Amino acid sequence: MQDASPGSTAVALVDAIEAALAGGPPVAVATVVTGGAASLAAGAKLLVRADGRTLGSLGSAEANEALREIAVAAFTAMPRIVTGTWYLADGAATDRPSQAVEGAAEVMLQLFEAPARLVIVGAGHVGLALATMAELLGYETTVLDDRVEFANRERFPMAHRILVEEVGAALDSLTLDASTAVVLVSRGHRVDEEALRHAVGRGAGYVGMIGSRRRTRTVLDHLAAEGYPAAALEAVSTPVGLDIGAETPEEIAVSILAEMTMVRRGGTGTRMSQNRSADSPT
Amino acid sequence: MSLDLYRELRESLATGQPRVLATVADTRGSTPRKAGAQMLLRPDGSFSGTIGGGCGEAEVWQEAMETMADGQPRTVVVDLTEPVDGDDKICGGVMRVFVERIG
Repeated sequence: MQDASPGSTAVALVDAIEAALAGGPPVAVATVVTGGAASLAAGAKLLVRADGRTLGSLGSAEANEALREIAVAAFTAMPRIVTGTWYLADGAATDRPSQAVEGAAEVMLQLFEAPARLVIVGAGHVGLALATMAELLGYETTVLDDRVEFANRERFPMAHRILVEEVGAALDSLTLDASTAVVLVSRGHRVDEEALRHAVGRGAGYVGMIGSRRRTRTVLDHLAAEGYPAAALEAVSTPVGLDIGAETPEEIAVSILAEMTMVRRGGTGTRMSQNRSADSPT
Repeated sequence: MSLDLYRELRESLATGQPRVLATVADTRGSTPRKAGAQMLLRPDGSFSGTIGGGCGEAEVWQEAMETMADGQPRTVVVDLTEPVDGDDKICGGVMRVFVERIG
């Protein structure tokens, strides 16, 4: 490896990535792909943690600082950018190849984090369908309900965690971050409303709440009157899901997971076939 | 970008064995895997992970073996838009793969 990143740094870097993938704190790693006019060494790496601490070096303080800033922002960005390429020149960075100047250094930025998490409030029919399908999608699922006859291992063998307690306290005990989705599908809108108080504005990448247009409006109005910030309430996906005409619990789960995927990956929710003519030929 | 891949990388570093890591840096058009997909190559030519199966993987493997030998990082441009030797190019995009030796 490079002078700036001797063997011990490589070991620390790989350790940190492995820990992140295994459920530890997420890390971002920038790698020089092309050194450009700045003559950075291809393969040089800088690891960035969510709080801005770094390890290793890209080979110049300027490049390190630019990528550190970009990486810190990437931790909370939606949609999740797993890998992106950045072009650096004269202290300025762009991720658009068309705006890259001649001789710009090219740096690949990768985000390493544990599988996405899904917190399901409500262990009823929709909760069960959600947990079942979310497992297929690779989510690590936590199920919350105060009714042990619903929230139990026999019913939810696929769940990573089952919490049987009052939903507000249970939600408070969880860390919600940009790769966590919270979906409120409890037995009634009173429970959903209480759960929303403990889920909104806490940094979750997605908060969804089931219910009719009227019911969900009422809940949002209650929370607004209690002083919850309008922007946070506006961001709540409610009524939850994409409009696919879902009727059964399983179809509703498809609708919700489709919306979660759309938010996470940055899709539009339109039919692919409607984009046919817009596709540029390659 | 699996956990297994980094576990192996940590173990190989600990025992002083080289590995070559191939990462899809970016893609254009339709490609089998997207940016971030990784493949880990061992000195004997075996590998784990995939950057797209038949579509261009052999090309990357060849370059990765070069990097294993000389330690020089490489960027491999895999063009899946031009049919070669009657090969069925079902992918149709272009991807750039960064190849580097670790350890």
